[in-house]
Amino acid sequence: MSSPSSLLPLEHLHPALWRAHQLGRGREAVHASGYSALDAELPGGGWPQRALTELLLAGPGWGEMRLLAPVLARVGAAGRGVLLLGPPAEPCAEALAQLGLDLSRCVVIRGDDLLWPLEQALRSGQVGAVVAWAPARLKGEALRRLQLAAQSHEGPAFIVRGPAVAMQPSPAPLRLALTGAGPDALAVRLVKRRGPALEQPLLLSLPPVLSRSARLRALTPRRTSVPALSAVA
Amino acid sequence: MLWIGVHLPALSLESFIATLAPESPEEGRIVEDADEIDLVGPVALIERHRIVAANAAARDCGVRVGQKRATALALAPHARLGEADPARDAAALMAVAHVLMGFTPAVSLVADHVVLAEVQASLRYFGGLPRLLQRLHAELAPLGHALRLACAPTAQGAQWLAVGSDDTTHALSNTRTDWRARIGTVPVARMAAAAPHLAALEALGLATAADLWKQPRAGLTRRFGGELLADIDRALGDLADPRTALQPAPTFDSRLELFMRADDSAALLTGAAVLLNRLTAWATAHHGLVAGFELRLHHESCRKMLEDPSSRTSKLEIGLGEPVSDTAHLHSLLRERLQRFPLAASVIELSLHCHAITPGAPPNTELFPSAASVGEGWHRLLERFEARLGPHNIQRLQPVADHRPELATTVRQGGEDSSARSRTQGAPLNLAAPAGPTATASGDPAHWPRLKRPVWLLREPQPLRDEGGTPLLSGKPLWLVAGPERIEAGWWDGGYAARDYFIAQDNDGALLWVYRFRRAPEVGEVGWYLQGRFG
Repeated sequence: MSSPSSLLPLEHLHPALWRAHQLGRGREAVHASGYSALDAELPGGGWPQRALTELLLAGPGWGEMRLLAPVLARVGAAGRGVLLLGPPAEPCAEALAQLGLDLSRCVVIRGDDLLWPLEQALRSGQVGAVVAWAPARLKGEALRRLQLAAQSHEGPAFIVRGPAVAMQPSPAPLRLALTGAGPDALAVRLVKRRGPALEQPLLLSLPPVLSRSARLRALTPRRTSVPALSAVA
Repeated sequence: MLWIGVHLPALSLESFIATLAPESPEEGRIVEDADEIDLVGPVALIERHRIVAANAAARDCGVRVGQKRATALALAPHARLGEADPARDAAALMAVAHVLMGFTPAVSLVADHVVLAEVQASLRYFGGLPRLLQRLHAELAPLGHALRLACAPTAQGAQWLAVGSDDTTHALSNTRTDWRARIGTVPVARMAAAAPHLAALEALGLATAADLWKQPRAGLTRRFGGELLADIDRALGDLADPRTALQPAPTFDSRLELFMRADDSAALLTGAAVLLNRLTAWATAHHGLVAGFELRLHHESCRKMLEDPSSRTSKLEIGLGEPVSDTAHLHSLLRERLQRFPLAASVIELSLHCHAITPGAPPNTELFPSAASVGEGWHRLLERFEARLGPHNIQRLQPVADHRPELATTVRQGGEDSSARSRTQGAPLNLAAPAGPTATASGDPAHWPRLKRPVWLLREPQPLRDEGGTPLLSGKPLWLVAGPERIEAGWWDGGYAARDYFIAQDNDGALLWVYRFRRAPEVGEVGWYLQGRFG
């Protein structure tokens, strides 16, 4: 910051270089998340490719698929495959189709050992997007392997883990903790990113499940505890 | 006419080496070329208790052709000696012929492990003789044979020159005089018709073809029969020499007797790789792609098998979603399958069968990867998953027109993308272009149309405790924020369901999909069920 004005700013030396108060830029293309408030806070302006992205959430049903729907839909529309590895419940075809996913390009993988297919899928570079629900105990070594494998994966790769691991180190360059924030809203805390820490969680309005009146009804009994949605949109 | 003669000088030895397990355990790869035979260690072939062929390592130990078996074993105690087997050689030679059939339909086998192919008509397609030969070498390389090649304007000439050519140079004689001079140098020992008369010819001082045609024809014919001079005339092109073209067998069937019994998948893969190379050569001959094959493992007999002869062989069937002609892909599929295939007993023989072949597409000449080639990689990946994890673990979802949520999704197993494969229950809905957000995917997700169904459905609806009309989930009350949506269906198929669905919100703000039966619950019956979560 004290560099003379005649010199080129340091961060222009190399695309992989950024200052602590700036967002990292990276050389890789990114995939827009579809949520402009989120894109503004993600390094490069979207979900990274060739890297793992960790989503930390307590269980299924917080809006994680609605958060990922825009990017998964766009990957499918580009003619590339989407893999869902070890989803926590039975996915509903109609709901996924309504979220815009191309079901003919969407394959669900199940089984006891999902690390092998996950690593193969990332390494092959033939998959458009991967969403994997990690087993409860995932070794750091396995994560490092996955992160290495992800470097040949041209597309976003999400690994969903429990919130307890937020304090543990991870090789994934982007980690997000997702918590509910009232009906049809999601609070996203950026646990780790290439850039400065973000104090406040982001509040995102998800594709709605409730009608306008139902949402008001949902907010009424606990208006005190739920953050106002008007600040989000 | 342009004939290519391919001579395989060490075919018997190489076909035997293919049955050996690799010495180095880390790779299941077959011998790539003649130089690598040395890695195998001393190997020799025996016929009627005499050595008939020995590789370089065995020769270094002093093993010579014609020695007795005991002598050879005394000279090289660790040498592996195998019986010469003409059937094994023929199978290996047929694979070479199959590769050549990828270049021309006019392929014929002649004695002494020579394959002849007439390629005049194929020159233009393959871009000239040098490039054709280059490609021929590349396609024959996986079979792992030492090759001697010769090009000649006549079939007989190609055969003689191929046997003699000490390297792979193949200067093609342009003029008739040149050609006559080259044929003139062929020694009589190489001529099949001269075999019974070699001693007499040597006594007469006739060593080469030129020596023969300088003699009076009538006298030679009287002494040695007409065939000898006729062969020379055929080689010179003075006599017609029609050859019947070989036809590839309609189904592929090849077996490989292993030298040592194989107890693990690595040893099996070595043998299977040889068979797979032959399989792809056969597919090349048909200009087709392999759509599936069956590997049969013949086990060493043990007492159990005497009781049940059917357990003597185990079958491993591999079907491909997308037909291929790529050995590496077939090999990786087979590896995944073999690794999780329990071996009942040691395997002594492998055989590979294939009758599923599809006509090949024209060669891919695209410069940049297109959607089609990307899709191919995706299918191959799914095929590998299917081979390793089993088809039941690879699922595709298909919406079905049914209001009951547990029946509204069918799961198609396997990586294949044909929606025609299993249309068993209900009519599949075509949601390829739903009225949903695909068109507006770029818009703000908050303004997408309302989601009607939860993404996650529980396998079994979870009963919820009821407290004064409010459902409880793990002790905490749920707020019903939307509903009811009545679903009443299935009276026609015995799965009658009459439920009122509500969207409920739990203490943390997550949205759930709960229902209760339309009729009032009996006393002591559970009133509420949790069926889905809006993920």
